[in-house]
Amino acid sequence: MNPIANAALTSWAWKPLTTAILLSTALIYLRGWVRGRRLLRDPADWNRLGAFVAGLGTLFLALESPLDSFDNLFLSAHMAQHLLLMMIAPPLILMGHPLVPTLRGLPRQFVKEGLGPFLTWRALRQFCDLLTAPVFSWFAFAFSTLFWHMPKFYELALRSPEWHNVQHASFFWTGILFWWPIVQPGAGKPRWPRWAKIPYLLFADIVNTALSAFFVFSGRLLYPTYSAIYAGGLRPQEDQTFAGLIMWVPGSLIYLVPAFVIAMRVLSSPQLLRPATAIRVVRSERVRGKDRLPALVRWRRVAQTAMLLVAVAVMADGFFGPRVAALNLAGVLPWIHWRALSILALIAVGNLFCMACPFTLVRDFSRKIWAGNLRWPRPLRNKWIPAALLLVYLWTYEAFSLWDSPWITAWIIAGYFGAAIVLDGFFRRASFCKYVCPIGQFHFVSSLLSPREIGVKRPETCRACTTHDCIRGNETVRGCELYLFQPKKSGNLDCTFCLDCVKACPHENIGLISIAPAKSLLTDSYRSSLGRLSKRTDLAALVLLFVFGAFVNAAGMVTPVMEWEHRWHAQLGRQAMPLIVGAFVLTGAALLPAFVTLVCAWLNRFAVKESETRDFVRRCVLALVPIGAGMWASHLAFHIATGWSAFWPAVQRIFSGSVQFAAPTISGWLTPLQILLLDAGLLLTLYTIWKIARGSTARLRAAITLTAPWAIVSCALYVAGIWILFQPMQMRGMLH
Amino acid sequence: MGLLFADGGTVQLRKQAGPFEITLFSTPSPLRVGRADLSVMVQRVSDHSPVLDANVKLHLRRRGGDNIIEVFAPARHENATNKLLYAANVNLISAGDWLAEVEVIEGGATADVAGQVMVLPASPPAVAYWPYFALVPLAIALFVFNRWLRRRREYLRPRR
Repeated sequence: MNPIANAALTSWAWKPLTTAILLSTALIYLRGWVRGRRLLRDPADWNRLGAFVAGLGTLFLALESPLDSFDNLFLSAHMAQHLLLMMIAPPLILMGHPLVPTLRGLPRQFVKEGLGPFLTWRALRQFCDLLTAPVFSWFAFAFSTLFWHMPKFYELALRSPEWHNVQHASFFWTGILFWWPIVQPGAGKPRWPRWAKIPYLLFADIVNTALSAFFVFSGRLLYPTYSAIYAGGLRPQEDQTFAGLIMWVPGSLIYLVPAFVIAMRVLSSPQLLRPATAIRVVRSERVRGKDRLPALVRWRRVAQTAMLLVAVAVMADGFFGPRVAALNLAGVLPWIHWRALSILALIAVGNLFCMACPFTLVRDFSRKIWAGNLRWPRPLRNKWIPAALLLVYLWTYEAFSLWDSPWITAWIIAGYFGAAIVLDGFFRRASFCKYVCPIGQFHFVSSLLSPREIGVKRPETCRACTTHDCIRGNETVRGCELYLFQPKKSGNLDCTFCLDCVKACPHENIGLISIAPAKSLLTDSYRSSLGRLSKRTDLAALVLLFVFGAFVNAAGMVTPVMEWEHRWHAQLGRQAMPLIVGAFVLTGAALLPAFVTLVCAWLNRFAVKESETRDFVRRCVLALVPIGAGMWASHLAFHIATGWSAFWPAVQRIFSGSVQFAAPTISGWLTPLQILLLDAGLLLTLYTIWKIARGSTARLRAAITLTAPWAIVSCALYVAGIWILFQPMQMRGMLH
Repeated sequence: MGLLFADGGTVQLRKQAGPFEITLFSTPSPLRVGRADLSVMVQRVSDHSPVLDANVKLHLRRRGGDNIIEVFAPARHENATNKLLYAANVNLISAGDWLAEVEVIEGGATADVAGQVMVLPASPPAVAYWPYFALVPLAIALFVFNRWLRRRREYLRPRR
C-alpha cells in the first residue's frame, strides 16, 4: 500500500472519554432495549437497535477515525466529519427511538427520584416542545451551519480545541433538533402534517447548496490555516472545492432522498393529512431473562484455582527471586495490579476477589482432613480484630516499605494461607473471613458501593420456605458460612460472593441482583448476622480506618509528606522511621477521625435527641464509605495506569533471563479520571448523609443542621484528596 | 500531568530548509509549563508530499538566569495520532521564550530549522481541570433544584 495512504488509514485518534461515553450510552440503551423486549415485543425493535448502534458508530467514526486526525490538515476531511456529525449520526440515533430504552436502561431509582421531577416539570417540557418545534429546529440548524462556516469562527475552532468541541457539539445537537420532526422518535402527536416535511427538507437543501456552491465557486481560500499547512496531494484551493463537493452532493442526497420517500408515501397514502402511527405490538412470552449465576458458580473454582496458581508463583518468586521489587512478581502483582483491580471490580461489579479468594480454596481442601467444630468466641464476634489488623497494615506498608520487599510480601501471603487453614481448622464456618481477615473487611466495606448483590429474587418464595437451606445447608451443599440468612440480608456487608446460598437454595430463588450503589446505607433495618448498623461501633471504627486510611495511604507516597518524614528522621536518628510513620498513620487514620467524629457528634446533639445521637453518628460514619472508596480507587488507579505493564519485566526475567524496561508514562486521561472518582465519592457521601438526616427528622432546618458537620468533613476529605492527587507521587514497584 | 498522543494543534513555526518544508505544531494551545506534545510535519519542497521515513529530532533550549535548560527528544510516528507527523512528548519546566530546533535527516539530506516558542506559566490545577471540579457544585445545584421541584409538586398536588 502507498505509505501515505497507509499512514492516513492508521491515524486513529484514541479518546478514552469519548469512547467511554459512547460505550456507556450503548450499554444503557441495550439494557433498556432488553428490558423493553421482556415486556412487549415490537417487530421494529431490531431496526431501532441497529439504527441506534449505527448512529453511535457514526459518531465514533467522526470523532476518532482518521477524519479527526486530519481535520486540521484537510478541509475536505473536516467537512466529511461535519457531515457525519450533522446529517448521518443524528437521524440514525433518532431512528433508534432512544428516549424510552435509555430511561429503562438507567437505574429505576435514579429515573424515579433523580430524573422524575425534571421530566414532569412543565416548564422543561414546554422548553423541549419549543426546541423540537419544526420552525425553531430548522432555524437552529441553519444558523449553526452558517455561523460555524464563517471564516472567523471556523478559524477559531481550528485554533482552540475547546471551541472545536463546542462547534462539534452544536453541529450534533442542532442536527438532532433538525431531524426530530422528520423522524419523530416519540409517541407524541406530529406537529405538522406529513407533507410539510418535504418543504422542510428542501429549504434546508437550498441553504446547504448555497453554502457548498460558495465553497466551490468563490475562487479564494476561505480558511487561511489550510493554506498555511498545505500537506501535499490536493492543493488548498482543490481541497476547498472537494470539501464543497462533499457538502453539495452527499449532503444534498441526505435531504433529497428522504424528501422523495416522504413525497411518494404522501402521494400513495389516502391519509394525506393524518400520519399513521400504527405500532404493532406482540406481547412477549418470556418475562425473566436467563439467570447467569449457574455459570458463575461453575467458574468460581476455576477463578480460585487461577488465583491460587498466581499466589504460589508470587510466593515462590518472593522467597527465591531477586530482592528488587520491580523484577519480582511479589513486588508488582500484589501491590500494583491486585489492589487496583480488586477495588475497581468492587465498584464496577461486586466482591469478585473474595469470590476468587485462593486462601478459602486451600482452607476448603484442608477441612477435608482437619475440620474443627468450635464456635468463634462471643467477645470476638465483631470487627475490632480486623480493624486493628488494618491499622497495622497501614503502618507496616509505609514503615517497612512492604511494596519494596518481595520477601516480606511472600511471607505475608504464606502467613495468610496458614492463618486461614489454622483458624478455620479449629473454628466452624468462615470465622477467618468474618472476624479476622482485613482484606475481606476492606472488600466488605467497599462492596457497600457495588451495583450488584447476592439477593432474593422473589420474597414470597422465601416466606413460604421451611427448610432455610440457604443458611443451614443440606446433604450436598453447605449453607452460608458467614451466617447471612438471605431473606434478612441487605447489602453486601459480610458477603464473600461464595455463592453457597445460590447452590443450596432448592427454589433457585437466590440470584445476582442489581442495587443502587450505597443503597443499603440509606436504611437501618435489622440485618442477618449484623444487626442494625447504627448499633455497631466496631463497624463504624472499621469504616473510619478504611476512609481516613485511604488518604493516609495515598499521602504517604507524595513528596511533601515524605520530605516531612525524612526531616524528622534526620533529627531523631536512624531507627526512628517506623515510629515517625507510626505517629503519622496513628494520627491520620485513628486519632484524627476519632476527634472529628466526636466533634460532629457534639454538634449533632443540638439537632437530634441525645439518645439517638450515637445511632445517627454511626450511620453518618458509614456514609463516608463512598468518599473513602473514591480515594482508594483514584490512588490505586494511578498505580495501575502508570504500572500496568510492570509485571512484564518480572515475567521476562523468569522466562528469558533478560529484561527490558519501558519508561512509565502518565496518560492525559488519568488525572480527570481520578478527579471524577473523587467527585462521585463526595457526591454519593453527601447524598447518603442527607438521606439519613432526612430520615431522622421531619424538619428541614434540623436536617440541614444534622448534615452540615458531616458535609464539612466530607468536603475537607475531598480537598485533601485533590491536594494529594496534584502532588508529585512516587511510582512504586517500577524502575524509572 | 500532561497529554499524550495529542498531536497537531497550533503551528509554532513553518520554514523551508534544504529540500524540506518543516512545520512544528504544539499542543496544548497555548503552550504551558508541564508536559506538551510537539509534532513535526516534514514535506518535500518540490511537491509538498509528506516525508515519512526521516529521522527527526527536537532540541529545545532556554536560558534561565545563569543556567541553560535543554530538552532533547526524538520525534517518532509511533507517538503521533496523525501518522503523517512525527511527535514527541516533552516536559517544559519553565515559562518564557524557548528556542526550538528541529533537525531532519532523510537519506543523505539534512535540514535544520529553529524558532522561538513561547511557554506560559502552568495553569493552577483548579483552572486546568475546572470542568471536573465544576461537576460537584453543578450536581449539588441540580439536587437542590430536584428537591425544590418535588416539594413544589407535592404542594400543588390536590389534597383529597
